[in-house]
Order: sequence, then C-alpha cells, then structure tokens
Amino acid sequence: MECGCRSKSDNNFVGVLPCFRKEIFLMTMAEVAEALKAEVLVEGEGYKKDVRHVVASDLMSDVLLLDEEDMLLLTSLAGDQVLRTAQIVGAAGVIVVNGKPLPSSMVYVADTLRMTLATCRLSKYEACIAVNAALHSKK
Amino acid sequence: MKLRDIIDACGLEPVLVPDAEAEVSSAYTSDLLSDVVAHCTEKSVLITVQNHKNTVAVCTLVGAPAILIAHRREIPADMQEAAAREGVALLHTSDSQFAASCKVGSVLGIDPR
Amino acid sequence: MSAPAPSSVLLEPKSIAGSGVGNDPLVLLELIQRLKVRDVMTTELATVPRSAPLCDVQELMRRKKISGVPVEEDGRFFGLVSIDDIIRALGGGYINDPCSKHMTTKLVVLEDDMPISFALRYFNRYHYGRFPVLNRDRRLVGIICQRDINRVLLVELSKELNRLEMASGKSLDQDGVSELYLMREFTVCKYDFENAGKAANEIKRLLQDRQLPPKLIRRIAVAAYELEINLCVHSDGGMLSCQIAKGKAEVVARDAGPGIEDVEWACRDGTSTANEWIRSLGFGAGMGLVNVKRVADEFEVKSKKGSGTTVRAAFTVTGAA
Ligand SMILES: Nc1ncnc2c1ncn2[C@@H]1O[C@H](COP(=O)(O)OP(=O)(O)OP(=O)(O)O)[C@@H](O)[C@H]1O
Ligand SMILES: [Mg+2]
Repeated sequence: MECGCRSKSDNNFVGVLPCFRKEIFLMTMAEVAEALKAEVLVEGEGYKKDVRHVVASDLMSDVLLLDEEDMLLLTSLAGDQVLRTAQIVGAAGVIVVNGKPLPSSMVYVADTLRMTLATCRLSKYEACIAVNAALHSKK
Repeated sequence: MKLRDIIDACGLEPVLVPDAEAEVSSAYTSDLLSDVVAHCTEKSVLITVQNHKNTVAVCTLVGAPAILIAHRREIPADMQEAAAREGVALLHTSDSQFAASCKVGSVLGIDPR
Repeated sequence: MSAPAPSSVLLEPKSIAGSGVGNDPLVLLELIQRLKVRDVMTTELATVPRSAPLCDVQELMRRKKISGVPVEEDGRFFGLVSIDDIIRALGGGYINDPCSKHMTTKLVVLEDDMPISFALRYFNRYHYGRFPVLNRDRRLVGIICQRDINRVLLVELSKELNRLEMASGKSLDQDGVSELYLMREFTVCKYDFENAGKAANEIKRLLQDRQLPPKLIRRIAVAAYELEINLCVHSDGGMLSCQIAKGKAEVVARDAGPGIEDVEWACRDGTSTANEWIRSLGFGAGMGLVNVKRVADEFEVKSKKGSGTTVRAAFTVTGAA
C-alpha cells in the first residue's frame, strides 16, 4: 500500500509515505509530539511506543475502521469520546490540533485510560504534513 | 495553483468539477463543519470524509472551491446536487485523510512551520 | 452452587453484581435520570382556595402534619402558604386575612416530566423543603420534597438489586458454573456523552484481563463501542451487555425506543438520521452498524418503529485463556 505522487512544480518524486509500510522503523509518540511542538498533557502507555499509523479524523466510526494497533490519532475534536475511541483501537496516542482548549475531564479520562494525550497549535492539515516530513527526515 | 493542477498531480478522481481553473492556495483537513467554518481559509481544498450536503454549504460559506472525499466514501445524491448548484468541486481519493493531506501538501508546497 | 469449577472459568459473582452495582454510582445515576418527578411526587394534595383565611390554612397544616399548602383553584396554581407565612401572620395579627393576600407567589416550581436528577439539583441550589410540581399546561399536579425522592430511590434500588441477583442466579442454573465465563451489563443513558464509551472501555479491559486474543478483543470492543454510542445517540437509553460462554462472545444492545423505521436502510454504509449537533460530536457518519457487521461473526438487528431495538453481535471465541 504505497502511495507516491509527483509534484508538478519541481518534478521531484515526493512521497512514499512510510507510515504505510509496516516494516520500517517509525517514530515514537514522544518524537511525534516533539516534531509537532505539541504540549504533552498525559504520557500514557503508548508514549514510548512506535507509531505505526496516522489517522487524521474527527469521526469516531471512521477511526474504528482501520484494523491496526498503535495509531496516532490526529483530531480536531476535543472531547472524552476521542480518548474512549482511541482506547478501543489501542492507539499509541491522541493529539488534538488547532490549539483547542480541552475540557478538563479529558486529562482525567486520558489518565484513567493511560492514553497519551497532547495538543498542538497546527491545523490537522499542517500536522499531517509535519508528521510526514519528520518521518522522512528521520529516515 | 489551479485546481486542475492539484487533481493531476495528486491523481485525484474528479466526481464533479464545475471550474477546473479555480484558484487553490491551501488545504484544510477536517470532518467537523463548525471547525471548517471557524478555521478554513478561502481558496482551500477541504479534505474530509464528511460526505454530507451541509459540507457543501460550509465550503460555499468560507469560499473553498473543492471538497476531496477520502476513503472514496460514497457521495450521496443530495450532496452532489448541492455541489452542482453551488459550483463546488467534488473529488474522490482512496487515500485516507492523512495520506491525502500529505500529497496535497507536497503539491501545494506549504511548509507548516 | 455445584462442585468447584476450574478457577479460570469460574463465574465471577463480582462481575454479575457489577452489572452496574459494582459501579454503584452507575445504577443510581441511571435511576435519577430515568425516574421522573411525577414518579416520586405526592399527588394527594391538601390545597386551599385563594379566599381561605390563614387560620384555616394553619389548622390544615396541623391536621395533616405538613409545612406548606398550595393555593389552588381548579388546578390553577396561585401560590404557596408556608409555616413561615403563618408565623408572620400570627405575629402581625392578620391570621384571619384571606391567604391570597400573604401567600408566597414568587416560587420555584418543577415540571412533572423532569428527571429527578434535576429536582435534586434544585433542592441543592434553593434551600426549600418542597417544590410545587406543574404539568405542561401549568396546572398544579403535585408537590415534591426530598424525602419523597429518597423513599422511591430506596425502593427502586432494592428492586434493581433483586433483579440482578435473579439474573445471576438464573445464568448459574442454566449454563452451569463452568460454562459462563464472563457476563456483564451496563446502563447507557440518552445523550450522556460524558460516559458514552465507558462500558466498551470496561469490556475491553475485562477481555484483556482474561487474555483473549488481541484481534478478537478489538473486534468485540469495536462492536461494543458502536452499539453503546448508538444507545446514547439514537435510543431513549438502554442496556449494553457482553457475555462469553460456550466458546462464543455476545454483545447485545437493547433499548425500548424509539425503534428504527427501516432496518435495512440503517444498516447501509453512510446512512444516518443524526443531526448536526451529533455530527459535531464526531458521530453520525452512518458507519457504526456497518462496522459492527464487519467485525462480528453473527450480526442481527431487531427493531420496530415505536417499540425498541435489539442489536446482537456474536463472535466465535477460540484460544481463550
Ligand atoms: N438503538 C437505536 N435506536 C434507534 N435508531 C437507531 C439505533 N441504532 C441505530 N439507529 C439508526 O440507525 C442509523 C444508522 O446507525 P449507524 O450506527 O450505522 O450510524 P450512526 O450512528 O448514524 O453514525 P456513526 O455510527 O457512524 O456515528 C442511525 O442513524 C439511526 O437512525
Ligand atoms: Mg452509530
């Protein structure tokens, strides 16, 4: 499941997105958080784990669609349901984008579920690009 | 950049493209319409799985010329009708929102930091 | 109880009692949401007309041992005479005046179809001993005091306990101790987004404790989550249960309304009746039932518009610890 594309402007081959290749070594949640300049609120079980997939979604049923563990969930939704969904799929962590203020309950829920929780100021679109760029530069 | 260039460069499937020459300068990835209203800028491609007719209305509101539906989620008839009426382009990709964002981002060439 | 069973397959009495009671606040929470003011209030009212002199009201209070009397004519509610009003009347020497002249008219009232959680909040906020209860048409239908709530809650709680004990007893008899591996039941309240997903989280944790295969756990958890959210979002509230017995896991969501008009339509990908508010919470993509069907080995929806919905997802359990 590789996906590449050609940029018209400079004709460079732009992206084989490494996150779709399971065998490659990826980044840990901690590294992703750093790359996004995210503020980590809860260091959960998945904090030191490799992120194997990135899901950028705000619809919970859409998140449940991917049958993989250890995903990073990038979402603009700030609510407990995001963490509960993340626990169901065994996500490595959740990063709420857009610098959204989180309801105070979220930190508590993340803590009880031992789910890594962070916020970052980037939009989800920017965060996707930043994660991808960080993955490339690491390789 | 023209919408046509992004469609070509990213290999997107045009479902309905009223104006391929529409100017696109950025993209925005979200499935929450309130979030789109609040943050999506003009001339953005909206990358989403929110295949609802209200998504079209929101794009008209913020001046986004195109909606890119990820996971090739089926586009309901009322959404297509709304898009035709409002002149908003509808595009499909089998990629996830993440992969689509990365691709569009690499074509638009925006450094987020 | 029959002969001791191997410990790994022992039915956990705690889990069964835990059908909410282990998480005692859950049962209570559900009760105070489900029970309405009308279920608790006193409807046999001693009332007086506006013309009644305060001394008559005082006499009524003494006879009935009550501390507040509503002033009412043909269901129309005018005010309340409290002991304080009487005491003031005695001191001020106007105990023979008609009560309409001195009754309290600035009143906080409750409506009969509010949940009692609401009433409890009112008792906390305003330190009144009682609230008059009006119906939709603003007619006086009852009066509620905190004692009424306590009494009904106690009765309902003990009923709930009995029910749970019966349920556990029954499954023991039917399946035999060694067959039932896990059984748990959760209450899901309508629009309770604060807790939506909690039951599925708990189910996943329980399955992990029992070291079922991770892929299987995940499939069961996904089904439980989707069905729990559907109860929260679309039903008037219901029960989510998870049971593992005889090599089979079953997740069942049951509610009593409003039912699904067209089940075939609802089970299609992308079809949803959710509104904008629900979508703003990250739900309503119309993918839930499709997800359940995808992960489950057996999938069944029974529903009728106007009555309830039961969704059952079953999984073959192999390699259970
Ligand atoms: N317990 C229920 N009671 C009444 N209607 C229900 C119930 N469960 C599902 N439905 C109906 O079936 C439809 C489809 O449900 P489904 O779970 O597939 O999607 P959704 O809940 O609308 O969105 P998503 O699950 O993606 O968040 C719902 O929109 C609702 O109309
Ligand atoms: Mg659903």
